[in-house]
Amino acid sequence: MNEPLSTAPAAIPAKFDPLLVMTGLVLAVGTVLWWGDAVHPAEMPVFAPWDFSWIEYLGIALPLLWYLRGLTLTPAAERPHGLRQTAFLAGVALIWVTLQTHFVYLSQHMFFLNRLQHMGMHHLGPFLIALAWPGETLARGMPAAGLRLARARPIGAMLRVVQNPVVAGLLFVGLIWFWLIPNVHFHAMISPVLYTTMNLSMVIDGLLFWFFILDPRPAPPARHSYAVRLVTCILVIFPQLLLGAHLTFAMTPLYSYYDLCGRLFPSVSALLDQHLGGVIVWIPSSMMSSVAFMLMLNNIRLHEDRQNGGNNNDDIEIAPGVRISSRAWTGR
Amino acid sequence: MRRRAFIGLLAAALPLAAARAADQVWHDVDVTGTSPSLDFVMQGTPFGQTRTQFDYRGFVTMMYLGYTFCPDVCPLTMQNVAAALAKTGKAAKHIRFLFVTVDPNRDTIPVLKAYVAGFGPEFVGLRGTPDQLAALAKRFHLAYSVSPSSDPAKYEVTHSSAIYVFDRVGNARLLVPSMASQKPDIDGLAADLVRLTTERPEGWFGWLRSLV
Repeated sequence: MNEPLSTAPAAIPAKFDPLLVMTGLVLAVGTVLWWGDAVHPAEMPVFAPWDFSWIEYLGIALPLLWYLRGLTLTPAAERPHGLRQTAFLAGVALIWVTLQTHFVYLSQHMFFLNRLQHMGMHHLGPFLIALAWPGETLARGMPAAGLRLARARPIGAMLRVVQNPVVAGLLFVGLIWFWLIPNVHFHAMISPVLYTTMNLSMVIDGLLFWFFILDPRPAPPARHSYAVRLVTCILVIFPQLLLGAHLTFAMTPLYSYYDLCGRLFPSVSALLDQHLGGVIVWIPSSMMSSVAFMLMLNNIRLHEDRQNGGNNNDDIEIAPGVRISSRAWTGR
Repeated sequence: MRRRAFIGLLAAALPLAAARAADQVWHDVDVTGTSPSLDFVMQGTPFGQTRTQFDYRGFVTMMYLGYTFCPDVCPLTMQNVAAALAKTGKAAKHIRFLFVTVDPNRDTIPVLKAYVAGFGPEFVGLRGTPDQLAALAKRFHLAYSVSPSSDPAKYEVTHSSAIYVFDRVGNARLLVPSMASQKPDIDGLAADLVRLTTERPEGWFGWLRSLV
């Protein structure tokens, strides 16, 4: 009796695998961007790559394709909330802007814009993507081989290590510090290979960290308890504060690259540029932790609410026989 | 007691001096192995012939972005480079200075030719299309901008101040901080340039790297 139901969708024979066609399209667009960037760099629009990179392009375009395909394959009732979809798209757009548009040129020639770029690619962009919690949708839209790879045991073992709270926190702060060591920063900014390495390491670490922090689920199935994640999220604030304050109050310019290769606005002095960059590391970057903290509290509230929902376990008895339903404050 | 202190000082100073002699610190910023190799296609002085990096194989090549209408920074930079070249003696004939204009609208080949001729025979003017110029700036992470105006006083041009130095196989070796600063290290630049001209070629590995 079940047979006809399951075979019904297969009645229309597909000539081409739509995923293959779409992947081909992504590759074709990439080829056009690569060619335009190589041959006509001065005529490319501002939203096109300043310095095209296949790794960065495919790393952004393919997950976007899988997510959109995953959405169309999900029954309307089970799709993630519209806000979560928006968060995912905004996060991907932000990473595109900071890695593969003409903003890259600007951020290569102003220290404070470089700091803004890093905030976008390490803090805000990955944060929005993790907030969207897109795993299920991505898994639905991915090719099967990709999904097998993502779920392979070595990958899982690696994730267990890098998402250990101590390692995750150290990596999150350590990478910001490492790429800002003056000598390291100088060579990372003039070497195309190191520059790409720096940007990719920031994006990947941002994703690892925020997926670890913003997991909406309780300890199992999530790797670590809400409490551990709350503490990690708060502890990473302080090294960023220190670094930001160090840059903001430094009396000597530390980053000679911008003097050598040219500042966008010659009227902004090296020291002012550095102070502005320091303020960005100091305030908005550490503020992200506070936002995450509140979102996690909300996750905890929702989780407890689901546990007690409807069974009145959290009602309060204010006098013998007089109970106040928890509905009064949870808005259930 | 004094003698022992003296010996102690000597013992401490010797390895330092030895280490310094061994890897001879450059006077300019060492970018060996990180910056990309020389790569461009542009028109060059004196006749507007097509020039590429291959025309400068065998030369220690400096590359600098500027424009001929530049009121102070460019002429000062080039004067100081000319002063450094004068100190390199015979080595100067193995050195070239590429002056890449960021303002190709006004800097035509005859204008460039007249301009670079004022500094010496080692100076070459290069003029590229906007695409060729953007490709060069992108490759070496250099900044430049031109906001044209009919009023010469409002015609704004900005460009990076550093000079890239490439060795004889075309690998980037040094970044020279602004030669238009308060105290340009002219002797240091001359010493670095001489050292690069006398350097033995790096063999196949250096050649391989120059292709990247």
